[in-house]
Amino acid sequence: MALVLGIETSCDETAVGIVDGRKLLANVISSSVEQHVRFGGVVPEVASRAHLEAMQQVIKQALKDAGVSIKDIDAIAVTAGPGLIGALLVGVSSASALSLALNKPLYGVNHLSAHIAVDQLDSDKKILPTIALLVSGGHSSILKVNNLAKDVEVMGATIDDAAGEAFDKIARIMGLGFPGGPIIDKQSKDGDLKYVNFPRGLTGASDLEKHKYDFSFSGLKTAVTRFIDQTPNYKKADVAASFQEAVVDVLLSKSLAACKESGIDHLVIAGGVAANSRLRQVAKQRCEINKINLSIPPIGLCTDNGAMVAALGSLAISQGVEPSQIGIGADSAASIAQVIW
Amino acid sequence: MSNVLAIDTSTSKTSVALICDGKVIFNQSHTDPLAHGEVLPKLVSQVIALNNKIDLVAVGMGPGPFTGLRVGIAFAQSFALAAEIDWVGVCSLDAMAAGINKSEFILSTDARRKERFWARYKDGLRITEPAVSNASELEKFGIPVLNEGEYYPDPVALAKIAQSSKSVEQPIYIRKPDAYPLPIGVKFRPMTALDLVSATAIEKEVYAKAAWSAGQFKEEFAKAPKTAHYLAAEFEGQLIAYAGIFYVADVADIHTITVAADHRRKGIGRELLKRLIDWARVKKAQAIMLEMRLGNDQARPLYESFGFVEISRRENYYGPGLTAVVMRKELK
Repeated sequence: MALVLGIETSCDETAVGIVDGRKLLANVISSSVEQHVRFGGVVPEVASRAHLEAMQQVIKQALKDAGVSIKDIDAIAVTAGPGLIGALLVGVSSASALSLALNKPLYGVNHLSAHIAVDQLDSDKKILPTIALLVSGGHSSILKVNNLAKDVEVMGATIDDAAGEAFDKIARIMGLGFPGGPIIDKQSKDGDLKYVNFPRGLTGASDLEKHKYDFSFSGLKTAVTRFIDQTPNYKKADVAASFQEAVVDVLLSKSLAACKESGIDHLVIAGGVAANSRLRQVAKQRCEINKINLSIPPIGLCTDNGAMVAALGSLAISQGVEPSQIGIGADSAASIAQVIW
Repeated sequence: MSNVLAIDTSTSKTSVALICDGKVIFNQSHTDPLAHGEVLPKLVSQVIALNNKIDLVAVGMGPGPFTGLRVGIAFAQSFALAAEIDWVGVCSLDAMAAGINKSEFILSTDARRKERFWARYKDGLRITEPAVSNASELEKFGIPVLNEGEYYPDPVALAKIAQSSKSVEQPIYIRKPDAYPLPIGVKFRPMTALDLVSATAIEKEVYAKAAWSAGQFKEEFAKAPKTAHYLAAEFEGQLIAYAGIFYVADVADIHTITVAADHRRKGIGRELLKRLIDWARVKKAQAIMLEMRLGNDQARPLYESFGFVEISRRENYYGPGLTAVVMRKELK
């Protein structure tokens, strides 16, 4: 089996993972999230500086955790996009240097596909066509994954905010803090999810014609904002739960419709929002009813990490994909169709 | 016996050299301010094809535009880690000064935003810390100013300095990141009729004769939330700032951003402006316009930093002799 070291720096986590084939050996994450809290969002230059500061230590710790020497590594994988350009470049430059100094192949990989690939770790799952719901702070897409290392198609995506972004903004409007995902998840546990019936974006008959698998969260955001403005003494937990329910409902309705339409009975839910407890719970219920095989990575591997990058690099090797050329650079707006550079 | 790999990405050039026992084996650079990430690995792969036994990596630590600068530093550090050798950081301006035969001069490189990174040299030594300033300020020293373009950090000199001086361990950024903390203790909320007494008082203090009356505010509030949005900022229960925007036919128009005199320069106007822009985006406005009093030098850089550009001027807009500058920002 190949020992693959994966580097992830697309946003605010400096992360390095090491896998041996499908076996997870190390997963080290240094986050600059604390530094972004007071700005209410990730500041690209702050994140990029933090990546450079943390990178060497994170690589060394991952090697230590895996119990291997840098000379043992067989291949390097790195997130080449999409993400913040200055942040991505710290990872890509480090990975290029490791590849050149060790004379080992480099795999530039797609951040979004890597979120799905992490589901393969520590399992003997067959590599089958699947529908993937990818939901994070930067993305909300439904993908048709024909072959994760080679062939991924976009069925639908958000036309405005990402789901995770909507969580951040609603948390900010309610004065709950940043990042919004875990905070709203927690608040909602004591809330009435039927308190307000907030709109489910792009689910009307005419929207479904044009945007069958697309999402829109800006209308929901406006509806929540208006509700708060007009309702003095509203209960935060109830609004949070109702908002979260609207997001979860629309994400799953469209994912299950995609499974049905394409005749694929596998659904993977990946990305940071896949850590949301209500999404996991409702997904399980609805997939059981619809006889869909559901797979969601462990919570700790849903948010950005290096293990997922190593996992996709490892998968690319096992599928005989050619390594990347020297000098791949970074592509902040990379499309999902580009799996390996 | 030593083979030194030298790297600099602090200017628009990406430069790489290999020096073996003082002999220059490789020395190449490529000019492209946006391609350090692609160019550097390619140049180093050429070096490795010549000689794959490197003993030391020397790297320019800036000052320089951050994204490109970090490419060189991240690469050098990771290369050293994988090759299990040391890396040494050098001030990039020193590597630029090395070949210059003048007793006194200033070296300057492009810092973007019409500014220069610079340091002063005398008799071959740097006598100031690297700094960032407007280009015009450098002329005031009355000594030659040598600019990036004519001169670049020389990787061969960089390798030499690395072997003889103390390592610069941190990137030389000089500027802080462009990030603005939310003002502490300031609460942002929708503006209501209850704010009118305080708001009209601030209006009078700030705009004197051009101040809005309570009636004018009420008229604007009536349009909310459909076509207008008014925000208030309070501190310790007191209204200290407010802002309003109006939207019709694809273009949003900022009507006011007013901060009480005691609370300026704290990022409150910035936060209000950011929220107005967010609102205009939700409304799917194509553009945002605003008028600003000519000579309002405090506000102009704020608007420009958000991408507003001057499109026209209106004379006597705020009264005789008071010109308005009209600015616009595209949202698409």
